[in-house]
Amino acid sequence: MAEADARPAPDGVALAARHALAWLVVGNAVGLWLALLLVWPELQAGEWTYGRWVPVHLNVQLYGWTSLPLVAWLFHIYEVHRSKVAAWAPAAVWAWTAALAIAALHWLNGHTSGKIFLDWRGGALWGFVAAMVMLWLVLALAWRERSAGWSVRRRTVSLLGVWVLATVPVAMVFAASPAVYPQVDATTGGPTGSSLLGSTLMVVTLMMLLPRAGAAAGSGRAGWGVWTYLVNCWLIFGVAEWIGGTHYQFHQIGSLLILLPWVWFVPWDWGAFQWTPGSRVWRVALFAWWGMLVLNGVTQYLPGLLDRLKFTQGLVAHSHLAMAGFTTSFCALLLVSVTGHTLGGRRSVAAWHGAVLVMIALLVAMGWREGGEYSWMVVAPGWRTAGLLLRAACGTVLLGVSVSWIKNWSLS
Amino acid sequence: MVGGEVQVNFNALRAAVVIAAVYGHFLIFAQFAFVELLRGGGVHATGERLALGLMAVAGITGGFVAAWRGVGSGMLRIALGVAAVSAGMAPLVGGHAGFGMVAVASGAALGVATVSVSAMLRGWCGVGWVGLGTGSGYACCNLPWVFNQAPSVQAWVAAGFAVVGVLAVPRLRDWHDKNPLESLPWWGAVAMFAALVWLDSAAFFIIQHVADFKAGTWGEAWLWRNAVLHFVVAVAAGCWLARTGAKYVPVVAWVMLALAAVAVNAPASRSLAGWWYPAGVSLYSTALVAWPGWFAGADGTRPAAWRSAGLFAVAGWLASANGIGMAQSLNRVPITLVAIAGVVVIGVAVFSSKNNRRAFVAVGLVVLAAGFGMARDGKALVTSAAERGRRVYLAEGCIHCHSQYIRPGSQDEFLWGAASRVEDVRKGAPVLIGNRRQGPDLSTVGARRSAAWMRAHFLHPRQLVADSSMPSYAALFANGRGEDLIAYLQATGVGWVRGGYAEEWRPGKLAGEVDGAAGQRLFANLCIACHGAEGRGDGPLAGGLKKPPVNLVDGPFVWTAGSDRLESRVARVVKFGILGTDMAGHEVLTDTEILALTQRVLQFRAGQGLVR
Repeated sequence: MAEADARPAPDGVALAARHALAWLVVGNAVGLWLALLLVWPELQAGEWTYGRWVPVHLNVQLYGWTSLPLVAWLFHIYEVHRSKVAAWAPAAVWAWTAALAIAALHWLNGHTSGKIFLDWRGGALWGFVAAMVMLWLVLALAWRERSAGWSVRRRTVSLLGVWVLATVPVAMVFAASPAVYPQVDATTGGPTGSSLLGSTLMVVTLMMLLPRAGAAAGSGRAGWGVWTYLVNCWLIFGVAEWIGGTHYQFHQIGSLLILLPWVWFVPWDWGAFQWTPGSRVWRVALFAWWGMLVLNGVTQYLPGLLDRLKFTQGLVAHSHLAMAGFTTSFCALLLVSVTGHTLGGRRSVAAWHGAVLVMIALLVAMGWREGGEYSWMVVAPGWRTAGLLLRAACGTVLLGVSVSWIKNWSLS
Repeated sequence: MVGGEVQVNFNALRAAVVIAAVYGHFLIFAQFAFVELLRGGGVHATGERLALGLMAVAGITGGFVAAWRGVGSGMLRIALGVAAVSAGMAPLVGGHAGFGMVAVASGAALGVATVSVSAMLRGWCGVGWVGLGTGSGYACCNLPWVFNQAPSVQAWVAAGFAVVGVLAVPRLRDWHDKNPLESLPWWGAVAMFAALVWLDSAAFFIIQHVADFKAGTWGEAWLWRNAVLHFVVAVAAGCWLARTGAKYVPVVAWVMLALAAVAVNAPASRSLAGWWYPAGVSLYSTALVAWPGWFAGADGTRPAAWRSAGLFAVAGWLASANGIGMAQSLNRVPITLVAIAGVVVIGVAVFSSKNNRRAFVAVGLVVLAAGFGMARDGKALVTSAAERGRRVYLAEGCIHCHSQYIRPGSQDEFLWGAASRVEDVRKGAPVLIGNRRQGPDLSTVGARRSAAWMRAHFLHPRQLVADSSMPSYAALFANGRGEDLIAYLQATGVGWVRGGYAEEWRPGKLAGEVDGAAGQRLFANLCIACHGAEGRGDGPLAGGLKKPPVNLVDGPFVWTAGSDRLESRVARVVKFGILGTDMAGHEVLTDTEILALTQRVLQFRAGQGLVR
């Protein structure tokens, strides 16, 4: 893959990147704290118990570390830095961070909707909606000013993007409602295969868009065949989700099997683009994690395996594979691509992926034992205590690396 | 040293003495002795509030009058003289009128003095000297000889401070360097210092009015520590202000005060509050006095005096009264309000530059929207204890450790009952299936655990399950949330009947293979809280149960009667407990562990209770 020249980072983009890294540090610190609380519950401070810290950890990683790089990407796509509203881009980032900080206090004080990853209600919800509206206004105004000089195709697609983004706050209010709940697999109490397909297809769509929307130069290899397959995947998702079902039924297992070709499609497509210098290490990592994520997701959904791993650390392993492995690589690649800055040296990157890999292997092993028999719930066997301590050690490495990244970013 | 002679900046030293005199007078008289004299003089609570209110109004007025008339050394000497007379007269007067006059005179004198000193300081000394003066004032008030005196003596000591101040006041000098070290805008300074004074006043009120708190932080043994700490940190704050400006000192002060406010609520960490609190106070107090002269963007004493009058009116007098009022009402410093103070202080530090004004507006809009959402949220009246308990279950994040879904065809059914039905589970809003188990499924826990057992477990989880990773939820029982949570969990068991399999179950292992040491360890970890170390039903939690736990040595053995093999009968009770009683099952233990525990229990019955 050839690599294009680095570009200077505009203010809003740079600030979004810095805030994203700051939230990564916060999320990792809370994650480490949670790992320690499982071993020493007496460490808790006041009423801020394990159960109250969990939504902080989950949501800070999703809405801070994962979402703010997407905000940076949107600023980049809509050329906010070249518009008259450029000075409002950092303000929108601060609004986002303020909303997330307020929400974290909400969760710690027990104001929760109980919907994992959609934990928005009351003051937290309204604050976050306000932040999203501000971000949308900045993007919409930038589009209005900048789009006149764009090609018809770019103007049309970006306008469509503006309208789609306008629905996000409304969709958030709807999805966060306690009265709304997706399909449930009756045999596990968890999501159906089609639900998992839907969330993964969103990631696939983002990956197909990434190099085509400002993160790389040139064009990819995906032709009509690949795009038609993507549309068909979405159609299959719609039908399977409407039918519902369990992980014992073929149409639900098949829903996940159709993801397998994407393990190869995406790297094949990306290979033809010209990427920013310094991004290769993250692309390689991303494809490695992407392959593992899909294979692990499909495998863990199979009858017998899911029955044993459901409710155990085995599924926590999959979450960490998705967030700490794949999503972190995606966000890092995005930040490097739109700013030209690197997060850290190869040593820190290797330390991150190594710690994530050890943690995932550990959690899978622990999950397998947990699913066999449940006496660990009351007798705390040595293997579990050792596993939790090793997990905390991995968390310490991740925290240290993320601190080094933000330090390196601030100095660069 | 110049030409072998030490050059002493006498004006700077005199300025530090004046700062110390004003601070000392304010702290020992206005904050302490006068209040005690009011109480000792028979003034009731309303009268006390009225007197302190008069003092505040006079202080604010005095400050603005000084700014309007133009500050000067003569005016400052007169103000300190009035302060000395009013403090000296305070122990001698009586009645509401007398105390009212003292309040007005002291307030007005302090208002004029604080505004005058802070506006004129820059003509007398560098900003580093402010720390020396502030630290000396605080240190003097914390000396045991001063702090432990009767209120009347403290009033005379305060009068003495004021007299020293009169003698030390240098003459008014023009500022040589009129460029501000760093401009912290008036709105930012007012918001920042108001938040800090408010937090300080609330925390100090709590510390001084709860005997246990005071002993651990401001007791006799700690006065010297506090005096030295105040002095050292204030001097360091002065040097720090000279090097870095006024933004970061208040931020660190907030961190210190916040740690103190959090620490003071828990007995284990209370002693730490005694270190953080004086340090935080000294930091921000130094910055507060320095702001009008060095950091307000003023180019002379007159504009500095106006800024000072505004700052002390809001941050000094109003925020202090507000913080004390809140502490009186709540008797604690809520963590949320500590956090809000932090948001204000850090927000000002970050957003006060012109480049960040838009960010300030954006964050303000988010805060407003969140406030609107908070006001709308949770207004629905819930009358059922079980429904309130469901909310507690949600708020505490129980779903992150416990599922409420029994999977069909899995070992869940054997352990916890019939499989859950998706249609039933989905009726909950929100659905409480959960996605992780650090502990057992709770779908039917109300039938399997009594309310008394639940209460004991919430209070002290590790007494009942020694290796539990569940934290204590004792705090829920301070205001009824614990009872509501139990009501909710008990409701999950209504109408639930365990399948017949439990009556026929036997451990699938032979007794001969049992590990005796494992049985003893399991009994120690899971049973002695109720049954006692010797199995006589006299464990530490036994008194809190509806019926005393069974005496495993002498019986009666009502629950294990039957024709089946004794070992199997006891094993069934150990495994599934006894429904309708406080005897909880140990469903998740393996057959080997159940057998080991059964053997240990049977040893008691066989008169081998002392076997180790």
